Amino acid sequence: MASSVRSGSTQPPLFKAIASSTRQIYQLLKCISFTAKVHVQITQDGIRFAADHSRVMQGVAFLDKELFTTYTLNLAENEDGALPQFQINLAAFLEALQIFGASDVAAKQAKADAEPYRSNLRNYRPDAFSHQTLGVPGTCCLLYEEDGSPLSIILEETGVKTRCNMVTYTPEQPDDIPFDRDDLAFKIIMHSKWLLDSLSELAPMSPTRITISASPNAPYLALSSGGALGSASVDFTSGRDLLDTFTIDTKWTQSFKFDLVKSATEAMRVASKVSFRGDGQGVLSLQFMVEVEGGTTSFLDFRFVPYIAQDEDDGMDTDEEEEV
Amino acid sequence: MVLLRFTLSEEGVNALRDALACLNKFSDEVSLEAKRDKLVFTALNSSKSAYAAFSFASNRFFSKYHYEGIAQNREKFFCKLYNRALLSLFRARSGDSLHDPEKGGSAIERCDVAIEDEAGKKSRFIVKIACRNGMTTKYRLPFEVSPPVHAKFDRNEAFNSWTISSRTLRQLMDHFGPGIEYLDIHSEDDSTVNFTCFTEKVASGDEVLKKPLHTSIAVEKDEFDTFDVSEDKLHIVVSVKDFRAITQHAAFLGSEVSAQYSMPSRPMQIRYDGDGVKCEFLLMTVGERGAPGQRAKKTRAGAKPAPRAQQLEAAASRAASNAPTPAPRPTPATRREPMPSLRPTAPRQSQRPPPATLDHESLFVPQDDDYQWEPVRMNEDEDEEEADARLEWDASDRPNPSAVKMSSVIANQTAQRSGPGPDNGMDQDQSLSYLEPTQRLSQARQFGLFND
Repeated sequence: MASSVRSGSTQPPLFKAIASSTRQIYQLLKCISFTAKVHVQITQDGIRFAADHSRVMQGVAFLDKELFTTYTLNLAENEDGALPQFQINLAAFLEALQIFGASDVAAKQAKADAEPYRSNLRNYRPDAFSHQTLGVPGTCCLLYEEDGSPLSIILEETGVKTRCNMVTYTPEQPDDIPFDRDDLAFKIIMHSKWLLDSLSELAPMSPTRITISASPNAPYLALSSGGALGSASVDFTSGRDLLDTFTIDTKWTQSFKFDLVKSATEAMRVASKVSFRGDGQGVLSLQFMVEVEGGTTSFLDFRFVPYIAQDEDDGMDTDEEEEV
Repeated sequence: MVLLRFTLSEEGVNALRDALACLNKFSDEVSLEAKRDKLVFTALNSSKSAYAAFSFASNRFFSKYHYEGIAQNREKFFCKLYNRALLSLFRARSGDSLHDPEKGGSAIERCDVAIEDEAGKKSRFIVKIACRNGMTTKYRLPFEVSPPVHAKFDRNEAFNSWTISSRTLRQLMDHFGPGIEYLDIHSEDDSTVNFTCFTEKVASGDEVLKKPLHTSIAVEKDEFDTFDVSEDKLHIVVSVKDFRAITQHAAFLGSEVSAQYSMPSRPMQIRYDGDGVKCEFLLMTVGERGAPGQRAKKTRAGAKPAPRAQQLEAAASRAASNAPTPAPRPTPATRREPMPSLRPTAPRQSQRPPPATLDHESLFVPQDDDYQWEPVRMNEDEDEEEADARLEWDASDRPNPSAVKMSSVIANQTAQRSGPGPDNGMDQDQSLSYLEPTQRLSQARQFGLFND
């Protein structure tokens, strides 16, 4: 894929960022990989990746500039000062990031083949002599020459240089799902693991929709769903202390498509805390705090549009009402 | 109205899950039967050749147990549930305490189960699982009220028995690879017992679907706690899949496994006990060497051993019900000398698929000689009758709707379903209208209904 994109250009590229590891970037972006294409916006503080699913679910990952060792955005030569934005294929981007460290794996495999004894014994352990552990310099460089040019990922380690050019698409400019911060119905901060556990309690019943309700008194937060095998509900009646922060005005109940909420489970897995908010219109916002290596924290933001509340007369819902 | 309510501790949930996982290897559905003193989970496989029952003692296994019962039937309550749903909700929760060490994460603290059944309200099997961290999950599962099918076993008939430690048995079974079908257990001489696993060759045209494989392990008799098989070199053959399901579960409990059987083509019972739980399995043994009343090649008439005279009679008229022309009455004269028939070497047509060989009926009504009341057995040479001949539940057939819920007895229903053959169908109907279905054939004969 190596090409001579640089030929002829003397001015510095529009955007260039260098990271010494792709692990965190990969981990964060994987959480929003529920759509093929993502919208990328490069700002002075970091890169914003937004995935959008039929305008009812949105996932945003923000790569803070602190994740990179070098981060330069030359906006000066941009005539109107607009931030560069484009769309890329996220799956291909993730694939490219995985090339980083691949030579390590290949070396390990070669070593294992040469020494069968070693391959049987403790092959799963982190290798003390891997490039990553030894800190042999490897770099991942993201390069965006100018508006409309491909996004290049240049991976360099142990003398091997890989360059991947991603086609960039013109941005579709999707509006964010409106979430009214001034009209918050409730706000809960808790360990994201509890949210993950709750969803995994509901999942076996293969539900189509999930009803989330928050109330000022018991059961505080309840997630319920019904499916072909039966119905299930999780509540925090005696788990009030699991909710680190709990502010609520009135009871809030909305239902969402279960599969959409489920596509945020990867984020629940990697994150440490979640801020769980709903606004007056019923839009649900899940903000995940991900603590990555090196002490920096990154945030993932998900928003969900609820089902319209009127069609609650099918059998499944009556079943749920009995429980609440 | 709550019919049944019980509470399980974390260990209880684990034990119940192990039992359900074992039952799941037999059937997708599990039957629950609740009584005042025990809760029984049973499963019968689709070919009706294997039966598993787990009986939990209400006073020992549960932290709390309260059986209310319903007006129609105070004695017991039964229902059928989809096992996959049960397994997923009784699954092991991660006891991971990364975030909250003192609270033990989301491990189960206690589990409350209630069964609600009331006219006008939804009948539900309700499970409430409380985790250590305070999260509570409530599941509501639908269930079907239908009587469980129990297999009976005549202990007096089973004069062969052995007991062995479940761990030893598990270790033995671990030696056999995957993909094998049958296990043959026989004593070689005074000091060794042979466990032989084999697969018969299955070919469709030129294509070999299954390769024959034969693995044998000789076990010292000392490994058994007791080994009491009256007949030397008696080959008893069971399905490996079922046997393995049992040994795996038995190894969890670590108790002693005891097996009782009589002869090939008669059921084998395997039993072991845990803390507050009794596990019992019936496996149909594969084989053609029934001692008296040797099975003929094509007719099923003599398939059942006939220790008593009237059984033979019954077997004979059963043959008549199967075939359009009355089959000649089999005589016990075909009895062969008991000789070690090396079962693996005889890949008879009737042995594949295994269910076809297995003597289903004898698993069900073993001590009742009234074969007339049983569903007609599907046979290779009676394909056109096969669809009718199956043992199935059919609510529309039941004459008394009020009895549908609780009072049905397996015998009643099988009686009503039996006799689809064109020739004797009328006889059957008449007999139903005049006689109690459970009446013995020998008694029914007095009325002259079954004269051939």
